[in-house]
Amino acid sequence: MNTSFKAALFHQSNAFYENIKGHSEDEKAARFNVYRNNIFVSLIDTLADIFPVTQTIVGEDFFRAMARVYVQKHPPKSAIISDYGDDFAAFIRDFEPAQGLAFLSDLAALEFTLLALTNTQEHTSLKGEQISAAFHNADDPARLRLSLASSTHIVAAPYAIGSIYLAHKNPDSISLANIQVEKSEYLLISKSNLYGDCHIVSQPEAIFIRHLLQGKILGEAIPDDDHFGLGVSLAKLIDWQLLTNISNA
Amino acid sequence: MLSSSTSSQGASAPSSLTQKTGVSLKPSYYNEILNNRPELGFFEIHAENYLSQGGPARHFLQHIRAHYAVTIHGVGLSIGGETPLDTAHLKRVAQLVHDVQPAIFSEHLAWSTHDNAFMNDLLPVAYDQATLNRVCEHIDQLQSTLKRQVLIENPSTYFEFQHSDRSETDFIREMIKRTGCGLLLDINNIEVSCFNHGGNPYEYINACSAETVGQFHLAGHTLDNNPIVPLKIDSHDQPICHNVWDLYQHALTTIGDRPTLIERDGNLPALTELLAEAQYADTLRAIARREKRDEYVL
Repeated sequence: MNTSFKAALFHQSNAFYENIKGHSEDEKAARFNVYRNNIFVSLIDTLADIFPVTQTIVGEDFFRAMARVYVQKHPPKSAIISDYGDDFAAFIRDFEPAQGLAFLSDLAALEFTLLALTNTQEHTSLKGEQISAAFHNADDPARLRLSLASSTHIVAAPYAIGSIYLAHKNPDSISLANIQVEKSEYLLISKSNLYGDCHIVSQPEAIFIRHLLQGKILGEAIPDDDHFGLGVSLAKLIDWQLLTNISNA
Repeated sequence: MLSSSTSSQGASAPSSLTQKTGVSLKPSYYNEILNNRPELGFFEIHAENYLSQGGPARHFLQHIRAHYAVTIHGVGLSIGGETPLDTAHLKRVAQLVHDVQPAIFSEHLAWSTHDNAFMNDLLPVAYDQATLNRVCEHIDQLQSTLKRQVLIENPSTYFEFQHSDRSETDFIREMIKRTGCGLLLDINNIEVSCFNHGGNPYEYINACSAETVGQFHLAGHTLDNNPIVPLKIDSHDQPICHNVWDLYQHALTTIGDRPTLIERDGNLPALTELLAEAQYADTLRAIARREKRDEYVL
């Protein structure tokens, strides 16, 4: 019977109504609609919580209409509702009314990735004095191997989604109006403290971090690029609490 | 997640649970709770909001648990579902129960999962023998996995099934008798369901076996005044109304004093507003205790 209940919820099929006590079909529909409304509103609210920047970009009305179609096609598979929306970005990519905003799908994917990272286990990062000691004690710092938190990765974004995301997070310091959406950028995705976090990095920094993630020693990880500053890049990794281990190769 | 020292610090908490009313734990209250340490009986969490491996929810729960008793309210096990319980989900809930050592674990007489979809609502069940058998099997499985008695909450419903062949209170009484579970009596759900189905909420309370009731929930609701059939909606986003307070007083008199929760999930007010409702419940409980000289101890 729950199969016909579910069909009535998502596909407006009325076959289930024969199971409902009521004086009229209208009454049965009104009673059943409470559940239909509860489910759609709560799931659309959930998506709005998970994708706040995406909602701000398209506006609440557009977002809720888009989310309603998504909920109907992709109800959650798990009772852990904070995991909902893993294929929302893919849905947006094919959602015809959103085609004018080519970056929207990538932005939604970024928001989902950051929330998923927030929900992962915290890592223990090295303290400043441990990092200083490791460099101080090394015979040859170029042969040090720097390990980063396992959640760390680099995203080469075709649009300025990191800038858009950060402008919404820090509206006082970044102006959305100055962002060139069509500009690609490299993003360092990581977990800092309790939350998933996103930083915009330069191309040489992205190469450097990728090398570190591949396990290259410091000397081999440094990119051959005049614009790369080792001190500045290391300071960022320390500030973002991403160094988890330093060992001698 | 929680260290043994954390659990032992909370071990003295159950007395606070029986003496003073608790409130729902919501993320917007985390910092205020840790900074001001308000005096109250306990905090109740929804299990499904705390099953992640990390992040702010588990972090703040750990710190709050060090100072307060906690009860866990499951909202996603789908006890009334036609399909088997999701054992992977049940395992995660069991781990949370192990970590937090809640004073009470409760779930709902409702379903939410079917055919690989989670409906994110507490959907109604028919009150017949087939449903009773299925619900009892699921409660047995839940209690044996958690290795403790669970409380099952009476639902708020918006329609009744044509083929139900017994009353909700009869169904619940049989369910408790067969499984040994307790009853979480949600006073607001009684008000909502009785309004929606033309029942008498006082008679509903009278029909409950006092000794099986382990906790009360109090919450607010809204009225959908549509022209076809006015319905009360169990929205948890309003202050508790006087009808529910009156019913609560009746329950305190007929059933006795029990751990009580001020349940709020939406339109969240300042925490002090919920604490004021908790204090009012404490006042009613003190009066009921004095009048009944109730010696119930959890």
